[in-house]
Amino acid sequence: MTSTLLAALLNTDLFRVNAETMMLIGSAIAFLATLRWVRSREMREKYAVMWLLVGSLLLFCGLFPHVIMRFADQAQLSYPSAVLFIALAIIYLFSLSVSLSLSRQHRISTRLLQEIAILKYDLEQLRAASTTPVSQDSANEHA
Amino acid sequence: MKVLIVIPAYNEQEAIKHTLTSLTQLGPDYEVIVVDDGSRDRTGEVVRAFHKRYPELKIHLVALPRNRGIGAAVQTGYLFAREKGGFEYVVQFDGDGQHDATAIPNLVQTCSDQKLDLCVGSRFLAGGQDNFRSTATRRLGISFFAALISWLSGVKVTDPTSGFRCCGPRAWRAFADRYPDDYPEPEALYWCARNRLAIGEIPVRMFERAGGVSSIRLSSGFYYMFKVTLAILVDRIRKQEKTR
Repeated sequence: MTSTLLAALLNTDLFRVNAETMMLIGSAIAFLATLRWVRSREMREKYAVMWLLVGSLLLFCGLFPHVIMRFADQAQLSYPSAVLFIALAIIYLFSLSVSLSLSRQHRISTRLLQEIAILKYDLEQLRAASTTPVSQDSANEHA
Repeated sequence: MKVLIVIPAYNEQEAIKHTLTSLTQLGPDYEVIVVDDGSRDRTGEVVRAFHKRYPELKIHLVALPRNRGIGAAVQTGYLFAREKGGFEYVVQFDGDGQHDATAIPNLVQTCSDQKLDLCVGSRFLAGGQDNFRSTATRRLGISFFAALISWLSGVKVTDPTSGFRCCGPRAWRAFADRYPDDYPEPEALYWCARNRLAIGEIPVRMFERAGGVSSIRLSSGFYYMFKVTLAILVDRIRKQEKTR
């Protein structure tokens, strides 16, 4: 019963228009959010490339819904665009947070590695200095 | 005027000795830091052995525990310069033998005389030589970035991918704080131009690699073009930053 009602609701023109509009709005937000995070250096360009591609795909689906409809008809899916939108939205939000987190972690770990490398260099220098025998000249200076 | 030469090295055991030998002719004002970027070969050992044999050339070997890419390796050199102090200029120099060590004094002198913050060694200026002749695709990519950076910043550049460059204190101190990760040269150059740092170029010769393989292959070329273009365009919409 519930599934029949849901199917009937999804089949209304109003929802169809809304789903496509939402996809357009979603893709615009995807683009702007990606640019904002790259601009503030919170996201690496490496991940931005992927998200801009996802945004482009969403935009394409929003602008040309008949393509996905044709695909749905061939795949015998009853109302795929709404399902696709919801699925993509969830995946998008989840993966975006992962990309942000990875970008932050990458920056932090790189700086840590750099500092470790320089500290290790300092340590080697100190060790070398402490094991170098004192020359006669410098021994006389200290005396 | 103390100068630090930063050599990022990843699996350069075949070429690094040749590169370091070419630097032995430089005077006592020059110190060298080799940043071993987590090499899996004997790069570090070769540098240590060379230093024992030529102690007159002051070489610092700093080894990153993991491979982090050329951007992180070069930035380690800038961090080292800041940490140790006393350096006026920092020169970036490839470890694969492509760069001409005899051009270093001229690069530094030009920076000093013209009060430049960044001076790039260009193989495409009149008098420069691309002795090993890059592939047509690569030259097309270089022309594209040169046109993009010149158009966006109003500063004419001819060789934005050249990793042979000399940084004055304003540039290298800023790079110690932030520096692009992969394929950093065009982006770092544009960053300087956008933040109104003084940029110049001198003609230089470049040679074929003395050993090893290039990090940019055809398969990654398209990604490189797209990633660097995106980085430059996004940098265009960032706020201007203060430099010390």
